[in-house]
Amino acid sequence: MNEFQPITWYDDPSHFRKVSRREFLYVGLVGGLGLTLGDFFKLRAEEALQEAKAKALIHIFLPGGISAHESFDPKPFAPVEVRGPFGSIPTKVDGVYFSELMKETAKIADKITIVRSMTHGEAAHERGTHNMFTGYKPSPAIQYPSIGSVVSHELGSRQDLPPYVCIPTQPNPYAGSGYLSNAYGPFSLGGDPANANFTVRDLTLSPDVDHERFQQRQNILAAVDAHFRGLEKSDALDAMDSFYQHAYSLVSSPKAREAFNLKAEPDSLKDEYGRNSAGMRMLMARRLVEGGVRFASMVYGGWDHHTNVKGGIEKNLPQFDKAYAALIRDLDRRGMLDSTLVMVTTEFGRTPKINKDAGRDHWPRVFSIALAGGGIKRGSVYGSSDPTGAEPDENPLSVEDFATTIYRQLGIDASKKLMSPGDRPIDIVRGGQFVPELIA
Amino acid sequence: MKRLAVLLAFACVLAAILHGRADAPVIVKAIQLDQPISFKRDVMPILTKAGCNTGGCHGSARGQDGFHLSLFGYDPAGDYDRITREMGARRVNLALPEESLLLQKATGAVAHTGGKRFDKNSDFYKAVVKWLDAGAPRDPADIPTPVSVEMSPSEIVLEGGNATRQATVTAHYSDGTARDVTPLAVFFTNNEGSAKISPAGLVTSGARGEAFVMARFGTTTVGSAVIVVPKAVPFTFPLVEERNYIDALIDAKLRKLRVTPSAVCSDEEFLRRVTLDITGLLPAPADYDRFLADAAPNKRARLIDELLNRPEFVDIWVMKLAEMLRIRSGADVSEKAALVYFDWLRNQLSQNVPVNRLVSRLIDSEGGIFENPPAGFYQFETDPLKLAEDTAQVFLGVQVKCAQCHNHPFDRWTMDDYRGFVAFFTQIARKKGEDPREMVVYDRREGESRNPVTNAVVTPKFLGGSRPDAANKDRRALLADWISSPDNPYFAKHFANVIWAQFFGRGIIEPVDDARVSNPPSNPELLEALARRFIDYNYDFRRLARDICASRTYQASSLPNDSNAADIRNFSHAAVRRLRSEVMFDCIGEVTDTKNKFKGLPLGGRAVQIADGQTTNYFLKTFGRASRETPCTCEVSMEPNLSQALLLLNGETVEGKISNGGLVKRMLADKKEPADIVNALYVRCFTRKPTGDEVNTLAPLLAKAQTRQKNLEDVFWALLNSKEFMFNH
Repeated sequence: MNEFQPITWYDDPSHFRKVSRREFLYVGLVGGLGLTLGDFFKLRAEEALQEAKAKALIHIFLPGGISAHESFDPKPFAPVEVRGPFGSIPTKVDGVYFSELMKETAKIADKITIVRSMTHGEAAHERGTHNMFTGYKPSPAIQYPSIGSVVSHELGSRQDLPPYVCIPTQPNPYAGSGYLSNAYGPFSLGGDPANANFTVRDLTLSPDVDHERFQQRQNILAAVDAHFRGLEKSDALDAMDSFYQHAYSLVSSPKAREAFNLKAEPDSLKDEYGRNSAGMRMLMARRLVEGGVRFASMVYGGWDHHTNVKGGIEKNLPQFDKAYAALIRDLDRRGMLDSTLVMVTTEFGRTPKINKDAGRDHWPRVFSIALAGGGIKRGSVYGSSDPTGAEPDENPLSVEDFATTIYRQLGIDASKKLMSPGDRPIDIVRGGQFVPELIA
Repeated sequence: MKRLAVLLAFACVLAAILHGRADAPVIVKAIQLDQPISFKRDVMPILTKAGCNTGGCHGSARGQDGFHLSLFGYDPAGDYDRITREMGARRVNLALPEESLLLQKATGAVAHTGGKRFDKNSDFYKAVVKWLDAGAPRDPADIPTPVSVEMSPSEIVLEGGNATRQATVTAHYSDGTARDVTPLAVFFTNNEGSAKISPAGLVTSGARGEAFVMARFGTTTVGSAVIVVPKAVPFTFPLVEERNYIDALIDAKLRKLRVTPSAVCSDEEFLRRVTLDITGLLPAPADYDRFLADAAPNKRARLIDELLNRPEFVDIWVMKLAEMLRIRSGADVSEKAALVYFDWLRNQLSQNVPVNRLVSRLIDSEGGIFENPPAGFYQFETDPLKLAEDTAQVFLGVQVKCAQCHNHPFDRWTMDDYRGFVAFFTQIARKKGEDPREMVVYDRREGESRNPVTNAVVTPKFLGGSRPDAANKDRRALLADWISSPDNPYFAKHFANVIWAQFFGRGIIEPVDDARVSNPPSNPELLEALARRFIDYNYDFRRLARDICASRTYQASSLPNDSNAADIRNFSHAAVRRLRSEVMFDCIGEVTDTKNKFKGLPLGGRAVQIADGQTTNYFLKTFGRASRETPCTCEVSMEPNLSQALLLLNGETVEGKISNGGLVKRMLADKKEPADIVNALYVRCFTRKPTGDEVNTLAPLLAKAQTRQKNLEDVFWALLNSKEFMFNH
């Protein structure tokens, strides 16, 4: 009778809404130790990274739910209503076939792992998206942090760059910091790198403000702030201070800013990626992780092909195919692939049978994702779907196991608990298992 | 069972004698000793107490390891069937009760993921055996149910750490009997640091502070406030001015906490704070000079009245209500509809229509939104469940969505309450108007709300209130009358709290739209008093705001003292609050002498006046303007982020407005002394003059004529980037 603890209100994480004051206390505490947030992150990062294969991660999300039949898991021997409008082609890996529109990716199939047995059972866009961004099933009240925010929280900043960046902007509510402080939310580029006049807002000093003047302004601001700081103590003030410090270093560090400068990439490489949203976003992502960003997250295209799946795929897939293959090749050439985990995900797959509108509807029972780099096997296929792509056949991969494995490659222990408001510890991933078969 | 009941009652009295103090009376009015053992009365509370039906165990939606119980016991009949009928009735063994899987699992005699829940020697075990011995009978339909639960004492003050006090819980049943259910209640606390509560209901103090300890029995949660004060530290509450009932009630609480309130703030601080809170703007330089020069003793009161009569006061409240009502164009709502709805709201508030009447018009509205704009209420949300949830949250400050799927475990709401409230919205229908941008709302007098477990029709029921006779009536009219009545238990309190929160940065219940048993007000007497006044004032925002602003509590300095530095919920000192996005943007425009242009507003219109949640700009988005996609107050974000810092220190807003406004240039052209220009900039941005130190630090920058403008603009830049500007204090 005495050995159990009664369930308290805080034991059920579904009853929290976002309050991040406590997180400010935490940041405030760091300030009290005389560390800047940057120092603190560095200390944390050094501890966490001892085992990490991946130093950074690029997340390519295909919103709407791309059809596996038309991409990574074609069913060439199935009847036409399952097979769909496209043929399939061999890849660099013996016996593995991709959609005929993935000619470039087929050539780098020996560098990546395809998961053909991803499954979660959530057929609504927002629920599926939530699963893939957070590693959790959605809860009615609590907001879980995105994997990017957890990475930001756990690994912190490198080389004056924000740890978690979204290209072009935060794509959905689940990509945010959830119950963690906004300090761990994404930094949004604010524009599409494919636009000719793309720049990241507010990074570069205006022509009227040279470095010296910027320094003078900082000095005046320090003097002006001193009076107020002497009077007032608040966690929110400390948090704002920490962002100002971060912003100063970003604005003053040409090297850090250079990470956002897509113009510095040679034309030939831009052509290799493709001068479109897919290509330029992926190139931007590579440049960001090269500069020091931990988690570069991008979305590309719209894949909710309820009608005319043929037209939708033809419109979106070739650009993705070219850009993705270029990204993997580019990372490999630079020797970055082994330390950069690249994941291509989507919220769910699509129905095995083509519907009356020549499209496919939502199908979360089984779908495909692609993983590469950061210690992931090269030239491998994990799991399989049944002959029509209706159910996982071998090695179903759950969202929890997927997230646990990703975190582990980044040197993050997914069983660690993070503090949510009310001092309630919540696991980074609840009940996930590391999947050694995915790892080289 | 007789022995058990006597034993329980005796144990509790004993516990109270041992742990409690003389002023903790345990009154057991009647103990029914001869009742037959019952599943609902005796077994269900044991399953709940032992944690079997929690969300992490068998109460999860899919159950656990093949065994499902309703979460916290919302479906006793279903639980009875699952225990006695499922798995070939293997869970119970009526021939050999002690061999029942239910008991073997619970005592850990066989492998159980949840481990051992209770001992073979425990009273719980004996009670379940007794029920099985009796043949695991199904309860008769008229089994008495608990109608109310009490926890005593209702307030506990403990001195120093490790002091203890026993709480007792009494349930009153529908047959008029009462029962001490302390051993069967589930206890929890909202602040482990200050007060823990054991499974047996023993409260133990921790660090100085406040906690709320709660007990759940059946579908009801009740709680007691715990205050932990330092032991044997002499404390005398200082003689402080009490200007009105607000101060008296605040001080009453602070006395208990042994906390001294901060001193009254300076005239400069007051002028800045009250102008920002009432009008969303900074005081103009002329207002600054006039107010500081004014020697009249009642000048603060006069200022409050002046500000409350400015149209900007209305702008602030129209914006806040527009957020609650989610005024936003979108796929199903035309821009015109959003604008018409917003203008109506603005008119209502400009004419000082009492807010209860305003809300009553919204709920009782019908027809085309262009002729009758309040019908927008039923256009911006069409799902009856969401309408019920939003109505409760926005007008009553109560969140009921938990009870959509299960009884709210930490509040009073049952699924029946929820579905009963939904029933007010199930007969609303909509059709396209002649103008395709318009929606016409009407009552179709059919459509019922159903309990998802039993599928039974649930008739309309006021939240926490009665079931009105709704036959052949427009249900919305009934609801509108109930909500707007002075007898409504939530409405006035909720709005009083919302008004309070505007002036303190947090509510007496915080967050303001989440009142529940487990989230009690920090000062219930104060909230009660404010609500009463609000009703007396005929629901006039202005008059309640005047009381609040006039109080010493509002006018306290933000400088804490030793006793109140840690206090954030008892208003013993002013809180430092970041300006909300719209106000910050407007203030930057104001101090730089620049005008903004927003869609739907003339040049010079202010961000607080934007009608449509869709209309925004990069600054407002970055600083967390509500997009009005949900009615939650949590949509307004006050959280800092990196983009905000970059935007202010390097973005075009500050830089561009300083140069476009040309203020520094103009003052220099007017041959103003550089030191006077610094003074003027300080007054504009900070509502104060620079300190001696600041004057000395800045003086070298002003020495050379050729760099003077640039340097002064840099000072201006620094003022706008300072926290003293960004925060109200």
